[in-house]
Amino acid sequence: MMEYLELGHIGLIIGFLLILVGFWGVLTQKNIIKIIVGFSILNTGINILMVSLGYVKGKTAPIIDAAVAQGEGHDVSQSIVDPVPQALVLTAIVIGFGITALMLAYAMKLYNAKKTLEINKFNDLKW
Amino acid sequence: MVNPIYIVAIALGVSFAIGVLNKLGRNFTGSLVLAAVSVMTFISYQWFAAFQFGEQTAKMIYTAGFMPPLSINLLMGHYEAFITLMINVIGLIGGIYMFNSLKKRGYNAQVIYLVLLMGLNVMVMTRDLFNLFVFLEISSIAIAGLILLEKGTRSMGAGFKYILATSIISGFLLLGIIFAYYFTGSLNLDDVVAANLSSIKGGALAAFMIMIAIILEIKPFPANGWGLDVYEGSDVGLSAVISGASATASFFVLYKVMDIAGVEWNYYISIIGAITFVGSNLLGIAQKNTRRMLGYSSIGQLGLLMMILGFRDILGEQTPYIAFGILISHYFAKAGLFWLSGIVKSKSLKGWSNIRKKPFFLFLMGTFIFALIGFPPFPSFFAKWTLVMELVQTGNMTWVIAILFGSMMEAVYLFRWFGYAIKGENEHLEDFKIKIHKITPVWIAAIGLYVIGYFTAQFTEVGAAINFIPLAFVGLLLAIDFLPVMIKNTIAITGMALHFYFVYPELEGDTLRLIFEGIFMVGGILALIAGYAYKGKRSGFYPVAILMYAGLTAIIEAGTTLEFFYGWELMTAGSYFLIIRGKRSMSHGLSYMLFSIGGAYALLAAFGMAHVGQDSFAMDILNTITYIPTWAYGLLIVGFLTKTAAVGLHIWLPGAHGEAESDVSPMVSAILLKAGVFGIVLTLIGMGAENNQYSELAYALGWLGAITALVGNLMAIFQEDAKRLLAYSSIGQLGYIVLGLAMMTHLGWLGGFSYVINHFLYKAVLFMTIGAVVMRVGTHNMYEMGGLIKRMPLAFLAVMIGIIALSGVPPLSGFAGKWLFYNAILDKGWYFQGAVMFFSGGLAFLYLWRLIHTVFLGQLKDNHRNVKEISIWFLIPIYTLIAGLMVFAAKPQWVLQPMGDMIAQFFPTGQLVWDGGTAISQYGYWAGSLVGVTIGASFVFVLFWLLVSTRKAHKVKQFDITYSGERPERPETTHVAYNVFEGFYQAMWIATIPMVETFWNRVTEVLHETAEFTRKIYSGNGQAYMLHIVFFILVTYLVIIGG
Amino acid sequence: MDITSKLIYALIGLLIVVNWGMLMSVTFRKIGARMAGRHGIPFRQPWVNLLKNISTRTIITHGYMYYLGPVFRLSGGIGIFLFMPMVFTGNADGLWTNFSFQGDLILILYFQVFGMLGMAMGSGEGGHPYSAMGVARGLAQHAAVELPLTIAILAIAVQFDTFSIYKIVEAQQGGFQNWVLFTNPFASAAIILAMLGALGHSPFNLVKAPNEILIGPATEYEGTYLGFMMSAGAIIHVMEAVLFMNLIFGGATSWIELIIKSFLIYFWSVFVGMVFPRFKIEQSVIWFFKWPLGFAIIGLLMASF
Repeated sequence: MMEYLELGHIGLIIGFLLILVGFWGVLTQKNIIKIIVGFSILNTGINILMVSLGYVKGKTAPIIDAAVAQGEGHDVSQSIVDPVPQALVLTAIVIGFGITALMLAYAMKLYNAKKTLEINKFNDLKW
Repeated sequence: MVNPIYIVAIALGVSFAIGVLNKLGRNFTGSLVLAAVSVMTFISYQWFAAFQFGEQTAKMIYTAGFMPPLSINLLMGHYEAFITLMINVIGLIGGIYMFNSLKKRGYNAQVIYLVLLMGLNVMVMTRDLFNLFVFLEISSIAIAGLILLEKGTRSMGAGFKYILATSIISGFLLLGIIFAYYFTGSLNLDDVVAANLSSIKGGALAAFMIMIAIILEIKPFPANGWGLDVYEGSDVGLSAVISGASATASFFVLYKVMDIAGVEWNYYISIIGAITFVGSNLLGIAQKNTRRMLGYSSIGQLGLLMMILGFRDILGEQTPYIAFGILISHYFAKAGLFWLSGIVKSKSLKGWSNIRKKPFFLFLMGTFIFALIGFPPFPSFFAKWTLVMELVQTGNMTWVIAILFGSMMEAVYLFRWFGYAIKGENEHLEDFKIKIHKITPVWIAAIGLYVIGYFTAQFTEVGAAINFIPLAFVGLLLAIDFLPVMIKNTIAITGMALHFYFVYPELEGDTLRLIFEGIFMVGGILALIAGYAYKGKRSGFYPVAILMYAGLTAIIEAGTTLEFFYGWELMTAGSYFLIIRGKRSMSHGLSYMLFSIGGAYALLAAFGMAHVGQDSFAMDILNTITYIPTWAYGLLIVGFLTKTAAVGLHIWLPGAHGEAESDVSPMVSAILLKAGVFGIVLTLIGMGAENNQYSELAYALGWLGAITALVGNLMAIFQEDAKRLLAYSSIGQLGYIVLGLAMMTHLGWLGGFSYVINHFLYKAVLFMTIGAVVMRVGTHNMYEMGGLIKRMPLAFLAVMIGIIALSGVPPLSGFAGKWLFYNAILDKGWYFQGAVMFFSGGLAFLYLWRLIHTVFLGQLKDNHRNVKEISIWFLIPIYTLIAGLMVFAAKPQWVLQPMGDMIAQFFPTGQLVWDGGTAISQYGYWAGSLVGVTIGASFVFVLFWLLVSTRKAHKVKQFDITYSGERPERPETTHVAYNVFEGFYQAMWIATIPMVETFWNRVTEVLHETAEFTRKIYSGNGQAYMLHIVFFILVTYLVIIGG
Repeated sequence: MDITSKLIYALIGLLIVVNWGMLMSVTFRKIGARMAGRHGIPFRQPWVNLLKNISTRTIITHGYMYYLGPVFRLSGGIGIFLFMPMVFTGNADGLWTNFSFQGDLILILYFQVFGMLGMAMGSGEGGHPYSAMGVARGLAQHAAVELPLTIAILAIAVQFDTFSIYKIVEAQQGGFQNWVLFTNPFASAAIILAMLGALGHSPFNLVKAPNEILIGPATEYEGTYLGFMMSAGAIIHVMEAVLFMNLIFGGATSWIELIIKSFLIYFWSVFVGMVFPRFKIEQSVIWFFKWPLGFAIIGLLMASF
């Protein structure tokens, strides 16, 4: 079982599922807060997906510490997973955080304006 | 050279500094932001100038001391420099515009504004995909953040929908980037391109996700509700920046990443662009809200730009020129319009009529609208021209049709809006205030359009040949618009006279062009003389009148099809403004404009076809069209027929000419219509004149002319409005001309040309006289006039001569046309067309008698007992023209002989033989001068006899008659004027059903209903908008990758 | 032929035409009266009327256009006469060809309107509603007549390939079988029917409606004006008949032939007028668009193939 279901694949599947869940939330929930939660899940899914794509079987985190074999003539990059996706994820998380915060600020202001969080109610601008 | 990294550094530095320095007040922080944007602008400009005027080559800027892919790199090339310059310029002047509104929202807003610009700059320059994602997000967050800081729920909802939609889109982008990295091992754009992503298994999906996300950022139809809401709901200043800077940046990003996807995507991008362009502009028709309409227009323009990107393989090295022209026009014009809408503060289109309270605003608004539609001298004109030329050249007619249709739709709503602004009711509307920091950006945008337009023209060889001096003269008249009529009129007349003086030697020997130039220039000067009758400033009249004449003369002088088209569009614009000056001309001005634009697009397409397989744009390429020539000539004819108001395309004319001002009607009727005739003449010469190979086209044209003559004359009979009567009469007369020309024989052309000259003379006389009478009596309705011969005998005499000439009764000049036509008909064998035409000629008597009787004869009305003779300033040109008519009548050979020689160049067979003053054709003869002598002699003889025998004629008063057994005392009960031809109407009513009008009304209705129905998809619900995005992606996926 | 003798012959011809026209009109009045069982006016009556009208001592005027109306009318009539070749003598510049060298059939067709238009404008200045109504009806009917007439005339022009009246007459010489009446019966039928409208007797006389209130320009004018208009009427009636004679009845080779043919042509319209009651204007317009137009189109088709 574990032969097929190695860590990278598990990550991919979970990430993909989370993306679907996130989409489902975003597109079906009427409550603005729930939509925002949906976005968070979506973002998380994408982040997990990113990390999983960079995973190389049997290698360790790209942090130069005791877990990484070091030495003369030894290429560090042979023993760690791809560091770039992880760096990207860090950035993506920050951006996701910013967006979530902005959405929540909107949610607050929208609620103050109409005393409701139903997204259907905010359709003054249309056609 | 300042390293472009400083654009980012300065923006970030100032942002952080404001965090510390905000204690110094918002004015200070605001100024600091503007200063920072100025420096950013300067950096972009410096690079741009180096590329444009120097030898600079593109420079890669590396960050963090590593080489890519390990680090992020920026590219500063020619395009990047230009696009960042555009972003920063609009950021700067837009920042000035928004200074107060940003200040009100606090220093945070000021910082966000700066960050937004920085984000857009980096989006343009970066060569790293992930960096692109980050700065896309930063820009989106900045926009949403700026909206968040506004007041009011409307914009709040829009901002939230915006952030929802962009989050979905950026999610896709991020996934795409990750997969691209996974497959290629690099985030660097150039590496990814080099790896040829589409060829890798699974890589196509990555490319798809990146592409679709970037396309969605441009707001393709129909997945763009979120964008529309922001355009409508947010601060106008921000809308301007989104439209000018953000959309420009997104467009450039698409250009950058297109290489990832490979060439097969070009086609899909064109399709999406076309759908967006046509769809958005179609829906724009149903809009009543200005801001949202501008949003539709913005999105439409970006669609057009997408199409151009998709065509880049077809367009080749012309792509940048075309994209530049469209982009820069949209950039300035749309930002300008958004800014204007912030000043005028009217949500509904109709409310824009208060813009007239500050007349120069109309100039600004007009500039932007004409630039958007692609009129000269704006960059979009030259770009659209080149685009169509190239597309037709490569056999892409379908695309041309889509582009022209979309542009047409855009013209519909923009000109309707402009019509409201010029003519709408504005009594009850409040005035608006102008703040200097808000109006300055608008002026910069407007002037920018003119300046850049001029340089755009200089960029191409054909464009550089255009003579801009007349246009500069228009500018001069605009600048001195505050002067009184006397001075401006004199300057205008002097200008035209000088122009004619300088042009004349060039045209000498070219009788064909000389005839038309004479009509345009001499007729124009005469019509302008009548302008002295006006008092005050007559603001705005002279620039537009001269604009029309500038266009007309440009048509005559044109050496290339571009110059011709340039003149044509100037003439259209000028005449539109002239026509819409009339009191009730709003709807007529619009329909005139729309038919004109439709016609102009037909011409554009035809000119494109003529250019196929030719290197030059010289006018004589029209003589050798090889690419589907029947269609090309057909399009040319249709295009020109919109101006001559052939039946089917005529519905704009009666209202436009009828409602125009008194001295404008002769300009647009006697003079302007001849431009269409000139075009048809050129087309027919192109078709081979005597060796015409397109006889079926000429045959159709002939029937069209005959039916036009019938419809025009028949409708004229039943008009109650004197000027409309004359307008319908013009339709009929132009029908004769078209029929004559279509015969493609020597006699047919001679007949047609004699009508060209005659119609110019007598229609100018009639329109001027009736116009001058209308100025005196204050009504167009003939039944409200009557008996005016007593008050204005000179006007009566002028009309009498005019109608005798028009009706073709000998001895006046109109008979020349009739005689030539009978001979031509017999010669050509088009008996039935001839019969229809001669019947129409018979109908002319009805309306001509009606005109003179109900206005000048019959009973004088009480309220007209003290009206004066028409103004001397009208009498002078009127009697000058009458002198011309008389010369033609007395010595027809003076006119017809040189004209015959000219026509003989094209139709050498079947010429008239002149025996002294007697014209002899194969069928008959006519001694014009002698006939005049005979008739004159018998007239004088009879008159003398009458004088001798009635020396004591007793003069009686108006009511010295008996009617119904009593002496009438009220003129109204005795004046036969209303519905005079009732009996004839009962016989002919079936032929007067306005079928053409009904047809066009149906077309309009269908368009409106479609737009009204389709735009309901923008339900205003944020989730629905996200669904649109998802569906858009799914459909595109199925189409492109396949199910 | 030099211009002086042309002028003299033309004047003689004009005198003949005026007198013949008046004689024809009194004949018509007489026939009408006899049909109604009355004795009718004496034959001298038109001349008496003319003399009386011309020698009246007082006259009124509503203005200068009013004054010029009869001048237009009479000089229009004279003009038609001058442009018409009256008698065919085998020489295009012969004895009774008048000034027809100045213009062809088309000149006559269009010059006809000169007098009508002038008279319409003149009477219009008088301001009487009847004159305007008469003119409006007259113009409407004229337009309707014009359509079949024009097509039929085109057919004749196509047939002989000319607009010269002289040549059309010339082509019909050598026996009645050469008349257009027989060589193009449909066009001729159209002309014969359209002629009724052109001559303006019942059923197409609503224009002047002589039996009830007299309308049309004639109501306006008196004295010398009326004398002029009567003379013009006489000339124009004859000239219309001569035009149709030249077009379809082979022209005339002598004044006798001209008088006989024009009388018969004129009599045709009198005959129809006696039999048929008057049309309303819409009825007459529609009537001309039926049979006459149909015949004319067939005639033109026949001539063009």
